[in-house]
Amino acid sequence: MEWDLVAFVILSAIEVASAWLVITSRKLVHSVLWLAITLITIGAIYILLRAEFVGLVQILVYAGAVPVLFLFGIMLTRRKIMEDPHETD
Amino acid sequence: MSGHLLDLFGLAHAISAFLLGVVKAIFYGLGGLIPPAVGPLQGVGDFFVSEWLVTLVAWLLAITVMLLWATMINLLTMMWIERKFYARLQDRVGIKIGLPSMDFLARIPLIGGLFRRFVRRPSHLGVGYLQNVADGVKLLQKENLTPAKADRFTFHAAPVIIASSTLLIFAAIPFSEGFTIMPNPNPFGILFILAAFGIAPLAILIAGWSSNNKYTLIGGMRSAAMLMSYEIPMLLCVIAVVVLTGSLDPFEIVRQQTVSLGEAIPLLSFLPSTSAAPFYIPNWFFIPQVLGFVVFSVAILAEQERLPFDLPEAEAELVEGWLTEYSGMRFGLVFGFKWLRALAGSALLVILYLGGWTGPGIQVASFNGLPIFLPFQELWFLLKIYLVFLVFVWVSWSFPRIRIDQILNIGWKQLIPLSLLTILLAVAMKGLGVYV
Repeated sequence: MEWDLVAFVILSAIEVASAWLVITSRKLVHSVLWLAITLITIGAIYILLRAEFVGLVQILVYAGAVPVLFLFGIMLTRRKIMEDPHETD
Repeated sequence: MSGHLLDLFGLAHAISAFLLGVVKAIFYGLGGLIPPAVGPLQGVGDFFVSEWLVTLVAWLLAITVMLLWATMINLLTMMWIERKFYARLQDRVGIKIGLPSMDFLARIPLIGGLFRRFVRRPSHLGVGYLQNVADGVKLLQKENLTPAKADRFTFHAAPVIIASSTLLIFAAIPFSEGFTIMPNPNPFGILFILAAFGIAPLAILIAGWSSNNKYTLIGGMRSAAMLMSYEIPMLLCVIAVVVLTGSLDPFEIVRQQTVSLGEAIPLLSFLPSTSAAPFYIPNWFFIPQVLGFVVFSVAILAEQERLPFDLPEAEAELVEGWLTEYSGMRFGLVFGFKWLRALAGSALLVILYLGGWTGPGIQVASFNGLPIFLPFQELWFLLKIYLVFLVFVWVSWSFPRIRIDQILNIGWKQLIPLSLLTILLAVAMKGLGVYV
């Protein structure tokens, strides 16, 4: 068993699972958090493939870009900060 | 030039080889005691000294030493410097809990006599270094509250992301040529530091949102807007330094700052050269890059959420900003790690513009064939970091807080054009042959 392969499989599993959670989370903000984890894991896979520069720039750029998405998600969708847990929808 | 005192990975490897050798000797001894099991026991003993296990334990030891060094010693020292220095700026004495305050030490039955010399009454006569330890113990004893309607998962995840991404910075920050985790040719060190710096705004915004509180949400949004807009001039200033050095390696950047100013800039060749050591002016990048140095300092000051830019936790408007709802040690973690980010920011400023760990030194002894210099590199680096931090504290307790629109105007309309001008100057210096 090659360790590179093990690391690649674990990282890909995290990436695919969090990408799935991006589209299935009920709260928009959770989707944004999972999106950040997806993008950072892609950066980790680049580093694993010996493309350190691309990987670090990926983390630098997307970890900076995701909060913008987050702000839009909060400001443009709902008026309340968070949904009432007792409310059904 | 001075040399480094500590080779972190070499020391960790020696300790790890010694400890695992002791384990191997124990298994061999057991094999001698139990003759039927001698083969398997010796096999287990040989497994413990296999090269990959020794290297793995050495890495873990080196990382542990670096974490303890950064979070225990340097974090407490930074907090002590800040609290003591701003007290002096406000004409107060400041914190005073120290070793003399611990009068219970003198009442310990057998060894109490050792402490009786230090402990005296009135007990508030110390220099105050233990006040932060006392505050940490107080925070540990407090209850960890979670607001009833908070989003539990993200509320608990945010401090972890902040703490881990801040500690990740110290994997790439070298404290000298030897005291480092990432080894000497480290081609992407600066980029790694900046990438680890850039994760925290996301976690701060998540912390602000998940507390389910107006003040924390406003604080988190202000923080994200501010941190993101000041990260851009910071990166652009780093690009200007990288244009001059042609490298993202912190070791290479520091090495290029050891040549004299006359050798780096041909126009100034009348200045003494490196051969006139130690009487020459080193080519610290704040001289050819003075504009970049100023812009980078302001951006680092804002990245730390220090006082002229501490809108995210303006206590007159927003209780305590994005960390209002945190309590107990979780509050201590997110609050204390601000100083760790300040340490990392000061270290980055020193590496990029103030010559890193270089400085004059005299060889006083040698150990195992390695020379030992008296102001060794770690000492120079710490001295520069603490001086830079002292200036930050001085600035932040002397200027009033500015409004959020003024902060964003300074960031986008002044610092970004100035940092673009810095890149232009660096490219012009390099292209026209002003800088070799």
